[in-house]
Amino acid sequence: MNSKITSQLIKREINYITRDDEEYPRRLRDINSAPKQLYYIGNLPDQNMLSVAIVGARNCSGYGRQMAREFAREIAQAGIQVISGMADGIDGIAQMSALSVGGKSYAVLGGGVDICYPTGNMRLYERLMDEGGLISEFPVGSPTLGRNFAIRNRIISALSDAVLVIEAREKSGTLITVTYALEQGKDVYALPGRVTDSLSLGCNKLIADGAIPLIRPYDFVRDFLDNMGNKERTDNYKAPTTNPGNDNIHEFMTSKQRAIVSVLDYNPKSVSEILYDLSDKTDIEIPELLENLTHMTIRHMIDCVDGNNYCIHAENDGASR
Amino acid sequence: MYSSVCSGAVNGMASYIASVEVDVSRGLPGFDMVGKLSNEVKEAKERIKVALKNCGIDIPPVKITVNISPADISKSGVGFDLPIAMGILTSLGQIPKENIEDILIIGELGLMGDVKPVSGVLPIVIKAKEEGKRGCILPVGNIKEASYVKGIDVIPVTDMCEAVSILQNRELLRTMVCEMSDYVSDDKYSEDIPDYSDVVGQESCIRAATVAAAGFHHMLITGPPGAGKTMIAKRIRSIMQPLDEAESLEVSTIYSISGMLNEERPYITVRPFIQPHHTATRVTLAGGGMYPRPGAMSLAHKGVLFLDEFPEFSRECIEVLREPLEEKKIQLSRGKATYTYPADFMLVAAANPCPCGHYPDRNQCNCSDGMIARYRSRISGPVKDRIDIIVSASRIDADRMIGSKRNENKRNISSEILREDVRRALNKQQTRYSGTNIRYNSEIPSGHIDEYCALMGEEKEYMKDVYDAMELTARSYHKILKVARTIADLDDDDEIRIKHLAEAVSYRGGL
Repeated sequence: MNSKITSQLIKREINYITRDDEEYPRRLRDINSAPKQLYYIGNLPDQNMLSVAIVGARNCSGYGRQMAREFAREIAQAGIQVISGMADGIDGIAQMSALSVGGKSYAVLGGGVDICYPTGNMRLYERLMDEGGLISEFPVGSPTLGRNFAIRNRIISALSDAVLVIEAREKSGTLITVTYALEQGKDVYALPGRVTDSLSLGCNKLIADGAIPLIRPYDFVRDFLDNMGNKERTDNYKAPTTNPGNDNIHEFMTSKQRAIVSVLDYNPKSVSEILYDLSDKTDIEIPELLENLTHMTIRHMIDCVDGNNYCIHAENDGASR
Repeated sequence: MYSSVCSGAVNGMASYIASVEVDVSRGLPGFDMVGKLSNEVKEAKERIKVALKNCGIDIPPVKITVNISPADISKSGVGFDLPIAMGILTSLGQIPKENIEDILIIGELGLMGDVKPVSGVLPIVIKAKEEGKRGCILPVGNIKEASYVKGIDVIPVTDMCEAVSILQNRELLRTMVCEMSDYVSDDKYSEDIPDYSDVVGQESCIRAATVAAAGFHHMLITGPPGAGKTMIAKRIRSIMQPLDEAESLEVSTIYSISGMLNEERPYITVRPFIQPHHTATRVTLAGGGMYPRPGAMSLAHKGVLFLDEFPEFSRECIEVLREPLEEKKIQLSRGKATYTYPADFMLVAAANPCPCGHYPDRNQCNCSDGMIARYRSRISGPVKDRIDIIVSASRIDADRMIGSKRNENKRNISSEILREDVRRALNKQQTRYSGTNIRYNSEIPSGHIDEYCALMGEEKEYMKDVYDAMELTARSYHKILKVARTIADLDDDDEIRIKHLAEAVSYRGGL
């Protein structure tokens, strides 16, 4: 390699590896179209650790956001690496959540590793340098092109032992990753959703086609470890002591506040909708409802989204929305 | 021979009394007009010549010179036709000079000598009264409007011949003074303002509108297309108090200058509601032109300026709102003069939450975060800062729209009840701010917030929690206090309590 380029790579702490190198990821070498070379900042995924890809829609719903968070945390805490594409929405949220519990995460980019795309994920990009890795087959400085995403998706699935699809529309780029995963013989898991939610249609169809439904983060990890033939780890894997959500917070609530929480979900609702949904549960007027919504928001019982819409409280770990 | 007739015109918002000097002398026949006249004033020459001929009045071949003073103010409008004609006749000795003294004359002439109404009569008549004029001769079409000025005689004329015969005969001049009661009809001009009882759901928006109306707070309604943002905005007037006499006069003056008063609507008694289209230009909003005229912001004076599809307005239009939102007036600078128009309006803006309009409903909205941020950034920070209340309207589901068991016994709120609440809140504000130049809670200057929006111990602690939990800024904190003050007033409470603060916080908005 040109010495000038090499010195540049060193200056920016960018590593370079070819298919002939020993450290070249084993999982990646096995596929037909393994890239000739990889550029990376930080590390490559640990060959001896399990890894899963968490992928999904960029413009995800509140439900998808929360589920990406909960699954990524459980997975990271179980010592499994999270691979994804650092995109807006599910990808970035899952990776940020994995890092937030001290896990490792690796992003496969659609441009040069020195380019943060999307720029909104700058914080995640910087953290991945230290707490995981940024990987790309495209030369340093390559612009992030739309067509590159489909190509890099094969690397995401190849580096993983299973692929989790959190949310996908019927026609979604995420499904390209699924296709690669199946070609490469990886298990595909999909998060079921309501029939009426267009962001769940892709996932529900995947389940109909044979993908494994994701029930709870804990169930997934157990099932995954079992499939990986890791009997000992499976048996040692304990159920979580608390359920997801904030059940313990309920005891501090008034009966009206409990009623308010009962009509909320992870997708934001407007005040008028909440009022209507409450109408057969409790007798409440608008000023009192607004008052309670603010009380609950500042006590982190619920979240205020976009100023005037409310949803169930979700832990915020700094991932872009 | 020389004569001088008193007339008047409007320059910006200010009216002035102009004297129309006419000199008739021997020499080459001609008709010259001077005094910084615009085209429509100069064209008076032809109208007057033909009108005089058609009224059967012969003008001998003389040299006529007309000067309209003060000669350094640009003259525009067509109100000078009649005074010039009367001046010529006085100079020719057909009208006694003493009869025309101290009488203000305004009117446009048609070719048949008919006198047509002109714009700006109201402020001119007010000015004439201030300057101690004896009376006014006005086009009959302007009489209703002028009759709201008490203490000056008004004589209506329908054509030039009538004006001439009145001026020729002193007795007639005295008897022709119109009885105002003939013109001011008992049933005041009223508009059909729609009522909140027509609105299904959207309780949170109606509540926010009530708070906004009670404290004259600017308001932004967000929500998907078809949710009823416009319905909410159009009904805000129905809960506002009617204009008082002084406000009415102020607003009517603006409408008079804009030529928007007519026989059907001679006077503005209902709060204006102005809804410029989002393709409006800066001039449409702010006013302007070579001879500046009031724009939509001034026409909405003391009323509601409704900007639907707010982010779709041009950047220029949104930015021009800054000054009036702060100063309650708009200043237009032209080469030779600066014009100031009042613009004390309540801004009600409506916006979609994202380009497609459905965010945060991800079933329908596939706008990326970047697109949403870009769309919202069209409303600049300084303008957003001046909007106290932000509320979102949501789509109503079929169940609710068409009616179901759940809401059968729930009646929609009617504007009448809300108007009464607003009235009470305004009374409280009036008492509190008597002796200051503050009228509404929204006008409390930041230096006086601690005085008027004092918090007690428990409330202070609560606001500390809110301040940290919601990452407020000093400005948003002040906004919350002002809105909380209004909510407390609506609640007939002298102290701001936690529930008032909590509700005010919910209007902070996320845009």
